Amino acid sequence: MADTTVHRSITTEFMKGIVRDNPVFVQVLGMCPVLAVTTSVANGIGMGLATTFVLVFSTLIASTVKGGVPPQVRIPVYAVVIATFVTIADLVLKAFFPPLSASLGPYVPLIVVNCIIMGRVEAFATRNRPGLSLVDALGMGAGFTLSLMVLGAVREILGSGALLGVALFGEGFSPMLVMILPPGAFLTLGVLMAVFNAVKAKNDPVLIRT
Amino acid sequence: MKKMIIVLTGVMVLSGLVLAGTFASLADRIEANRIAALYASLERILPGTDPVYEELDVEGPTIYRATDAGDITGYAVRIQAQGYAGTITMLVGVSPDLETIRGVEFVEQVETPGLGGRITEPEFRRQFDGLDADAPIDYVLNIEPDREENEIQAISGATITSRAVVRGINATLEPALETIRRQVP
Repeated sequence: MADTTVHRSITTEFMKGIVRDNPVFVQVLGMCPVLAVTTSVANGIGMGLATTFVLVFSTLIASTVKGGVPPQVRIPVYAVVIATFVTIADLVLKAFFPPLSASLGPYVPLIVVNCIIMGRVEAFATRNRPGLSLVDALGMGAGFTLSLMVLGAVREILGSGALLGVALFGEGFSPMLVMILPPGAFLTLGVLMAVFNAVKAKNDPVLIRT
Repeated sequence: MKKMIIVLTGVMVLSGLVLAGTFASLADRIEANRIAALYASLERILPGTDPVYEELDVEGPTIYRATDAGDITGYAVRIQAQGYAGTITMLVGVSPDLETIRGVEFVEQVETPGLGGRITEPEFRRQFDGLDADAPIDYVLNIEPDREENEIQAISGATITSRAVVRGINATLEPALETIRRQVP
């Protein structure tokens, strides 16, 4: 039997962030922004892209300089690098997308403590070449953004009766308010997580055997 | 030991430089956005064909004077109130004779979406239009408000937020109007 782990292709490395190791539905990381900002699709996309930006540049830098950083200061150095990119993302949003920046509020600066970022930097970027780390970061970022989009879409449709701010139903529709409140976030996340993992298990030959 | 200090210091200095550069190049834009948002709010409560808004040099809450082609079209008072989830910042517009409320705009609020957050919806916001600026405002629950009595209807399920808005206006508007009367002949 051929050892597949040696021949990790770029596609596999990218796709694992979306399905096999999806940061939201499988790794269950970064729950604070996942639950807090997904009241609408636009918020989900905005948060997803901001996180991807930070993730891509932090892992690129970490995988490039990993040899030069003494182990004692590894975490502080990465924390500074991550914080730098988060601040840049926050300033860029404030300058070019003020309404989005206002609706994401404190959750953009809070990307600093999003465990997906430190997780990927520590678990992947410090052990792999910059090229592969970039692919990993893009995959994880895409998986995070897509998950937030789906959550945001479900919550916006049910909780506000709209999608991307455009009303979907007539005047008579009374939105399920709970869906845009915190309990709605937990309910949606739980249901989506169950569906995601059920579908994933069905298509995963390894899981079927065990 | 030495390397560790050099690396960490180097990374921090570099980070500081990058952030200083980013901030310096974006600060003007961010400030322009803030002013544009403020002007948009002011224009909604004190419209005009070519309105000019200037901040009055007074103590206490910030007051803007709106002029249109040289005529004063009204004043707007910046009022803050402690809401259910955080500070609510609003602009309250009054007529040039300081007797009638022209409109209320919410600049910043973090109230619960769908409940307290509904203060930004026209159904709630527009209730203040035309109320007496000199008398305290009162709020009623689930009954028709009497506009002669300066009443507004609170949002059902969000009494705390509605009350905060009303109390904020009552506490700040009168002294602010006094300030305008004293300052402006």
